Amino acid sequence: MSYLNALRLHFAGRFQANISTVNNDPAHFDNAAFKSSYQDLEGPNQEDPPNGWFNPQGDAAWRFLGCKVTAAWMPTGAVTSGDPVLGYIVADTDGRVPAKLADLDSEQQLVSEIWGLQVRIADTAGNTLMRGDFDPAAFADIWVRATGQGGDDMGAGAMYQSVLTNLQWCDVSASPFLSALRQAARTGLLSIKFNVDGFNMDNTSPDFMTGRIAGTIGPATASEPRHMVVGRQFMATAAPSESFFIPLGAINFCSAVVDETASCIYLDLGNALSTAASGGAINPQGDLTLSIYDPTSLPGDPAGTTGTTVAIGVIPASGAGGYVQNPNWYANTAGVVALPLSPAQLQAVASSPLLISGKAGVLISEWSSSAFVRADRFVYRMSPDETVQIPVYAMRFGKPLAGVEVNFQLDPSQLQPAPGPPYSLATGPAVAVPDDALAFNPTAVTDSNGRAVLTLNTSDPGTPRFFNNGTDYGIDGQVYGIRPAFSDAQTYTGPVNQLNFISILLWSGFTPANPVTWTDIQPIFQQYANLYPVMNRFLDLGNYDAVVKNTRLLLLAFGLNPSDPNSMPVTRDLSPAKRNAILAWLKNPLPGEVRARANTADIPEPAVGNLTGLAMPKGGKAAAAARRLILRKQ
Amino acid sequence: MFLLHRPQLQGITGPSITLHGVCVALQNAIKLEHATIPPYLYALYSLDASKNPQIADILQSVVIEEMLHMALSSNVLNALGGAPEIDTPNFIPTYPGPLPGGVEADLTVNLAPFSMTQLKTFLRIEEPEDPLVYQSLAANPVESHCTIGQFYTAISDAIATLGDGVFVDPPRNQVGPDLMRESVVVVNVATAQQAINTIIEQGEGTTTSPLEGGGGIVDALAHYYRFMEIQKGYQLVADTTAPGGYAYKGAPIPFDPTGVYPVPTNPASPPGYPPGSVQASANNNFNYTYTSLLSSLHALFNGDASPKQMNIAIGLMMSLKGQAKAMMAGIPDPTVFTGPSFEYQPVNPGISG
Repeated sequence: MSYLNALRLHFAGRFQANISTVNNDPAHFDNAAFKSSYQDLEGPNQEDPPNGWFNPQGDAAWRFLGCKVTAAWMPTGAVTSGDPVLGYIVADTDGRVPAKLADLDSEQQLVSEIWGLQVRIADTAGNTLMRGDFDPAAFADIWVRATGQGGDDMGAGAMYQSVLTNLQWCDVSASPFLSALRQAARTGLLSIKFNVDGFNMDNTSPDFMTGRIAGTIGPATASEPRHMVVGRQFMATAAPSESFFIPLGAINFCSAVVDETASCIYLDLGNALSTAASGGAINPQGDLTLSIYDPTSLPGDPAGTTGTTVAIGVIPASGAGGYVQNPNWYANTAGVVALPLSPAQLQAVASSPLLISGKAGVLISEWSSSAFVRADRFVYRMSPDETVQIPVYAMRFGKPLAGVEVNFQLDPSQLQPAPGPPYSLATGPAVAVPDDALAFNPTAVTDSNGRAVLTLNTSDPGTPRFFNNGTDYGIDGQVYGIRPAFSDAQTYTGPVNQLNFISILLWSGFTPANPVTWTDIQPIFQQYANLYPVMNRFLDLGNYDAVVKNTRLLLLAFGLNPSDPNSMPVTRDLSPAKRNAILAWLKNPLPGEVRARANTADIPEPAVGNLTGLAMPKGGKAAAAARRLILRKQ
Repeated sequence: MFLLHRPQLQGITGPSITLHGVCVALQNAIKLEHATIPPYLYALYSLDASKNPQIADILQSVVIEEMLHMALSSNVLNALGGAPEIDTPNFIPTYPGPLPGGVEADLTVNLAPFSMTQLKTFLRIEEPEDPLVYQSLAANPVESHCTIGQFYTAISDAIATLGDGVFVDPPRNQVGPDLMRESVVVVNVATAQQAINTIIEQGEGTTTSPLEGGGGIVDALAHYYRFMEIQKGYQLVADTTAPGGYAYKGAPIPFDPTGVYPVPTNPASPPGYPPGSVQASANNNFNYTYTSLLSSLHALFNGDASPKQMNIAIGLMMSLKGQAKAMMAGIPDPTVFTGPSFEYQPVNPGISG
């Protein structure tokens, strides 16, 4: 059970993601080579002079802005205007600081997570009806959604799926819908999914650092994965791109769930339909027809074939409810459509793959096997000598796929090391080395719930991303990718989602002097002072006296759980070992020395211009996407 | 000096002293203490602190104590069985306007960037009944009015008249010194008077010295004298040769007018920021956070006096500080300077509002 449910509400509005951009360049982590201009807003020439990109002063705040409930559905049908829920809003916290958006790492920027988000359903005066905590989650399936935007951040789309926990309900008796949702949420969970696009990067615009959001909230069960749908998985084929993913068939990866009780299928096209302009109207692709396909009559991958298909439903482009003609279609549905199924169709979909076609033919389909496997949570931060069990879920025809072997392989291809555009070091920190710092089972077999477990053991990677031949403080630890896949690649085959892998940030071991002194703490704080100019509004973190004057506040902020929106650092990239050292030092702030660079002649000058010849799209994520290793190998 | 309407003393003076009257007066005191914070913060964050570091430090030190005064008044009110009301629209005054309980014609308070003119308003707010000799303003209050100090003294005297018997036992909803430095847990007449004296002396000094009484901190001048230092341009230091033993002859406190960001005065005054503008957008986020802070303080002072809730409130204060410093300094658009309007806004309308 998930947001793809007969009981669900849709909401739409805008969001803010006020991230800082100084840390988007791995070279900026080199304390010894840091220049004050790296904190400046970029000028018209982008990388000339070297600067802090498009929002160096960002405070990482993530907010819902003006989001309203646009529609609600119950098993009996659409909720009508008699239910006050249709006038309610979806808002974030009204009693603590806003949530924070954080990249995993400067060299893996394509899984940014929202931390500390509280989600509320409230009336128009702001009175809370429901309050829940968003289980921290990373965005998935970032792609070039705006076809007329040229592959930059403004044209990107992505989605977040998670659950709300710690639910608090006020008196919802006036709303039959919310009463039913509350009843369905006896599990203590709600499922939430939202799509983001249309990001604005113009610092003179009132929309700066905000974008469009449309989402869905519905029930959840504790036994199901939190960040993915156990359902039908439509797999897009990749078109060539030097930035984000571009689906060959113009429809991005998407999911559907068959509801046997309600005799229908819920198809979520929210992050799958492209637009012409950034955050604009949906591109017309004709009526979209959902069909079942009989692979036994025409073997092979149905995508691009003209095999035996039987239409089971149509999403019209035109008419009052048309996804093209009705300008409110996206806001009112968040891209979710419910198509009724006859008993015969219900029976057929249970054993046949699905595809979606438009005026250009087949646009996207399931694998011919209808199989799919993915990690539920796919972003992990780990210390050396730690073990974590990472569940992956296999499914077929929307049901758990039991007794199948899944393998796990290191795959750094989507990581984004320097060098790269726009102005990184000529030789920057490598990713995914040493590879023996991770040990894990190469295979696992799924249980009756389709669940298999990757057991990951870590050891100390050392400091492979320190600068100046490893002698100068740099980026902590290392980033790795591990990709799950079916071992039987003959039976289970089809287009692969490049971004369907597990990202791991493995921190370096860290043993400070005992007692810990400023000598050990200064490089850590100096790096935060360099990378987050927002800190200058409070104190100079690289200055011993300024830090000592603020030990009380810093003890508070560094002592909080990372899921707390007040937790420092907002970037969630501080290892527990370093955090403990900082906390110990703040309680007894002994002075020390500031280490100078071993050989200042080795400090590289920032390069100006397009070093590599790769495309250089404007933006943070697009520039990172253009740095992916997979593009270097092509 | 800032004068309160005499009716503010109703129920706390003369033969008509009632517990209800004292509680009403304390709620007004909480509102009044809070009402000084937006103009002080507005002035503080309008400063480029790199050009006006001493003035910024002085303003900041005063604001922190105004927050303490809110807590102390709330502790006294809670100790008497009352419940501070903080998260309501009418808790916040309108700027420009009088301070809560104040005489409208007497003093209109603006949200304005720092200037020597705005400083005069701050001096009037904090001016004691009989300022010590280091300056010469000397108007006595007319019969129908009272100063803030007189108002607090009346509350203190009324509590003494009511006696220890009116205090709730066991003590309730106290924000103590473990959560806020210099706070006082109020359980009886003595501790209530200790709390109130802290407020009076931090604001006005004692009747014989510009220093805060009792704290033992040598350089802790009362608010009025800290502001006078800015006006005089020099620190107030002990000087045995000067009348009264003090003189504005210490280190210079220069004011650099180029270190003030060009934010508007009274941003909420019509027409206000145009809906959909950069300024409205930043202001909406600020006001939503500000309203969240009032909500968190309401929880803190109404039964959740926990370190966790205190930390939530501190986090919100830091968030407001960060937002205000950015928007007033022309971040992210260096040509647009936005002053926060400090309005009650429990819904964030986003960009359109």
